Amino acid sequence: MIRSLRSRLLVGIIGGIILLLIVFSVIIYTVIRRSLITQFDSSLASTAQMLSAAVEQDGNTIDLELDVRKMPEFQSAEGPTYYQFWVGDGTATIRSPSLGKDDLPLFEGSPDSLVFRALPIRNGRPGRAVSFKFKQKLEKHERREKNSELERDKQQPEERFLILIVARDASDLYYQLQFLRWLLIAASGGTITLSLLVAVFVVREGLRPLNLLAEDIAAISEDNLEARIPLGSMPEEIAPIVNRLNDLLARLKKLFDRERHFTADVAHELRTPLAGMRSTLEVTLHQSRNANEYQTALSDCLSITKKMQLMVNNLLILTRFEARQMTFRCERIQLAELVDSCWRSFSQRALQRNIVFENRIPAETSCESDPDSLSMVMLNLLDNAVEYTNEAGKIWATARLASSFLEISISNTGCRFSNEEASQVFDYFWRADSSRTDTGIHCGLGLALVQRIVKALYGRTIVEVQDGGIFTVRLLLAKGPAAIYP
Amino acid sequence: MRLLLVEDYRPLRQSLTKGLREAGFAVDTTGDGKEGLWYAMGSEYDVIILDIMLPGLNGLEILKKIRSKGRKSHVLILTAKDTVEDRVAGLDLGADDYLVKPFAFEELLARVRALLRRSYRRKNPRINIEGMRIDLTTHRVWRGRQEISLTPREYALLEYLAMRAGQTVSRSDIWEHVYEFNSSASSNVVDVYIGYLRRKIELPGRPALIRTVRGRGYILGAQS
Repeated sequence: MIRSLRSRLLVGIIGGIILLLIVFSVIIYTVIRRSLITQFDSSLASTAQMLSAAVEQDGNTIDLELDVRKMPEFQSAEGPTYYQFWVGDGTATIRSPSLGKDDLPLFEGSPDSLVFRALPIRNGRPGRAVSFKFKQKLEKHERREKNSELERDKQQPEERFLILIVARDASDLYYQLQFLRWLLIAASGGTITLSLLVAVFVVREGLRPLNLLAEDIAAISEDNLEARIPLGSMPEEIAPIVNRLNDLLARLKKLFDRERHFTADVAHELRTPLAGMRSTLEVTLHQSRNANEYQTALSDCLSITKKMQLMVNNLLILTRFEARQMTFRCERIQLAELVDSCWRSFSQRALQRNIVFENRIPAETSCESDPDSLSMVMLNLLDNAVEYTNEAGKIWATARLASSFLEISISNTGCRFSNEEASQVFDYFWRADSSRTDTGIHCGLGLALVQRIVKALYGRTIVEVQDGGIFTVRLLLAKGPAAIYP
Repeated sequence: MRLLLVEDYRPLRQSLTKGLREAGFAVDTTGDGKEGLWYAMGSEYDVIILDIMLPGLNGLEILKKIRSKGRKSHVLILTAKDTVEDRVAGLDLGADDYLVKPFAFEELLARVRALLRRSYRRKNPRINIEGMRIDLTTHRVWRGRQEISLTPREYALLEYLAMRAGQTVSRSDIWEHVYEFNSSASSNVVDVYIGYLRRKIELPGRPALIRTVRGRGYILGAQS
């Protein structure tokens, strides 16, 4: 298999041309050769006819008419015509004088038919011969009619066949054919050479758009993904490729932008707590202080560290979920139990802010899913709820089994943003109120994480804000193990 | 010198406020953008330290608004975003300097001092007025060879007078630039502190450094 398109095209074109030229040359040569030989042979045949008509009988011997014998074509020194008559029993009779004592080769066909043959004639020159087998003409003499039966019998040889061989020097013919052969070979060779040059040029020109495309593509690096390959004068066979490439570039650009944006966001989110920690430490160390001040500074730094740790952990989990690197177990989970055990981590915080929690999930509701992932989802949702519920507000959890899916909702009171704003909650680092960044360990990744996890569990997350500031996150999980193992 | 710090991240805001106050600045502080704008419009701050990502009102918006109102305060932007575009956007909107988080507190102090010198057109961090030398960097003061020990409040007052040496400085100017918004002191505290300062820096038998301009205020050094 030839890998280069150019070589493939060249081999195809040149191979085709060579094949066609050979076929045409052979046909032309064959046709011309046949017609030349036919012409030659028909001239031989007419000479043979003429000779056979000029046979004279003289008793047992035969002779040719003198004026025929004197004809110039039998006399010519160069390329003469030779003839020789044979009697049926193989005895040579009359021969052309130019033959001298030589014989022409004897061959015969059926009576009254002409048989042609190529043969070397005198001096080894190429020639062609015709053999004509015919009944000798009867010459009835008065005298013989009166003869006895015996004499009649003696006249039986009148019935014998004569074989005439006429040969002619065909070196001119063969020379012409040879010339024709060389002419055809030379013409074919020339044509092939020329067509090779033309084909190389045409193929190169034809493939130029591909080279241009390659150059265009090579010019695109990760830094200028917004560049597009110009469609310009691209041939219509390449245009679809260019369009697909541009689509691909657009997708890549979007992906890169998202990555870049995300990295910038992460850097920003990590820089702010780092700045807080650094300035807390530097200001504290700037002069000597009492134990109380050191303690405050250290506990500030500790809580910043915890926040950063959580954020790094969440980022890691998020990346793993996005890359689908997580492995899931599939177990039957008692939902109410799971939610209760998740709530335990927040009950103290809720108590401090007089927040009431109601687990309204029926005790018998269960589902098949990955307990770790579902716990992570619940922990995040409850954490958010505790964080954003108003003082002395309420949080409640419900679950509903529908025919094909399980719906789990976590709602809380005290929501201060609109449904439009609510749609942003899944964005990375989005916070309902960024001034709250200092109050807790929230880094704006919780709901983004919830959404990614639920998606990995083949579910959907819906967020809505109802009248009275009730914020609800609804998880729709497909029922059964199919949810995890599609 | 009076500063305004607008920063929403509590640990950073608290530590910066503490550090800046310890460095002798009067610092007003808030974590909310709208409140920050209200502060900036209300007083003539020497330097405003502004975070960009703020709840309520974005730092760049605040900057735009105070510049459009013709406020001359020097503005130093604190940002966690370090792309060239972010910095250019801030500087083009009229910021005088920027710092990328996280930064060294000493650097912030040095930049604030540099901005202060710029706003009072003093390139030299050492001020010399009729034999009294003030080192703006170390906050030390000498009269002749004798170093004078001042409380931070006294130093702040002297520094402000020295920055505007030769000019008549009104009591309200002093009030604006040396005392914090939430300060419980009343305006006659200025006269009290001028008294403390005079007792420490004036030498018997030498012409007074701080002179009272009746009905208008005080003047440090010879009138320019």
